[in-house]
Amino acid sequence: MKFPKILVPLSGDGAGADKEAIELACWLAKEVKGKIYVVYAIQVKRSLPLDAELEPETEMAEKILSDAEEVAQARDCAVETDLLQTREIGPAIIDEAMERGVDLILMGTGYRKRFGQFDLGEVVRYVLRNAPCRVLLLRQPLVTDEKQ
Amino acid sequence: MYIIVVGGGRLGYYLSKALLSQGHEVLVIEKDTVKVERIEEELGSICMQGDGCETAVLEEAGTERADLLVAVTDEDEDNLVACQVAKHKFNVPRIIARISNPKNEALFKKLGIDVTISSTNLILEYIGQEVPAYPVVHLLELRKTKLELIEVKISAGSPAVGKKVKDIPLPPGSLLILVIKDEDIKLPAQDTVLHADDRVLAVTKIDTEQDLRAVLAGS
Amino acid sequence: MKVLIMGCGRVGAYLAASLDSEGHDVTILDIDSASFRKLAPSFKGTALLGDGTDEDSLRKAGIEEMEAFLALTQGDNRNVMAAQIAKHIFNVDRVICRIYDPLREELYRTLGLEAISPTTFFADLLKERLMRGAK
Repeated sequence: MKFPKILVPLSGDGAGADKEAIELACWLAKEVKGKIYVVYAIQVKRSLPLDAELEPETEMAEKILSDAEEVAQARDCAVETDLLQTREIGPAIIDEAMERGVDLILMGTGYRKRFGQFDLGEVVRYVLRNAPCRVLLLRQPLVTDEKQ
Repeated sequence: MYIIVVGGGRLGYYLSKALLSQGHEVLVIEKDTVKVERIEEELGSICMQGDGCETAVLEEAGTERADLLVAVTDEDEDNLVACQVAKHKFNVPRIIARISNPKNEALFKKLGIDVTISSTNLILEYIGQEVPAYPVVHLLELRKTKLELIEVKISAGSPAVGKKVKDIPLPPGSLLILVIKDEDIKLPAQDTVLHADDRVLAVTKIDTEQDLRAVLAGS
Repeated sequence: MKVLIMGCGRVGAYLAASLDSEGHDVTILDIDSASFRKLAPSFKGTALLGDGTDEDSLRKAGIEEMEAFLALTQGDNRNVMAAQIAKHIFNVDRVICRIYDPLREELYRTLGLEAISPTTFFADLLKERLMRGAK
């Protein structure tokens, strides 16, 4: 199995899941001299127009993306980053995957609990259900002293 | 314009589709998850699952920046409340309610819902009773584009009865969007024949509305 | 007093029987005839099948002579609509409307409806009980 074009949507949670996903994507892509596409989507509330200028969010997103770019470049992997502004993140990731014609979507996720239960999250669920290509989910290891 | 459509049934769906194609920002609020998914599949991320009568839902929908709210659920009372909440809580400048029971038109007017559209309303009843008479119901006026969305009832005496869409001399800039026969809705094709009692949704330029009215509804 | 109650649920039926036993002239309206089974057998008022959000049904129920109208169905929006018809179309003196949703209750109060939310009312009552017991 070969994955020359890999989409890595970032969650921006800063928990290390994003970084590990990029590292794994680089490793998979480099083998076939492929390229990774790193995207981060800003969700825009309905109370604002879709093209609203979101200063702090954009700044944060740009930082997340430049950090991601560094991680990929340090591994000598071809990388392209993209910042999206959207109402719903799941569909935006799927659109991006289709547009780029990627072979794989690779997502990192933490071990999250919501209402005391493990929760995959809406975005991951949406991507798993709707992705046209293969999806690889890299979950963080369980932390025993996890509080929420 | 930012337009909120409460109710993702058939009318809500077709209305949203028409509004989107005219370049408006549209949000549909619908309770039923299945309907929400169907609309999102067809029209993209323009839906919110929730009760459009609830203040909290309307707040999340950004109702305070909406230019127009159209309530088209199947229940008149839900449309009334959605419109009243939008008007009084969020100061939405224009609101339109669908009414299924024509008797509610007077009530809605009295309660400040300026425009009602009625799917079962026998518009012909109004002819001659009121001036101006309305074989044509204005659904929306799209000010910047000088276009409007209207519903026209094809009367028995209309010159369009029995004609194919392609043979009807529509004024330039007018477009038939939907043909509604009883509960049946279809997109008009070139060969679709119009019958008496059909209702037609059309977009037209405001200044040629009279001409469109003449060819569809008769004088 | 001549009272029209819309919605023969537990509260509607109880209230109807209670007012009736005190000698008031009570008419109760519901869209489901089965719901009238909740009325006490001693109820001597009028039970009518009809839709309280429909002007004609209300007229048939005699709303024009009523001194009070209470909207007590399960649907907040139905209650809101019926109450507004009673108030603005038929000018009934006293109109009370049940609205479960506290936010909607607040809005319609500011619009001049006498609205009561059982949600906040009951929660406040419980809290009061609880605090009293704590002493």
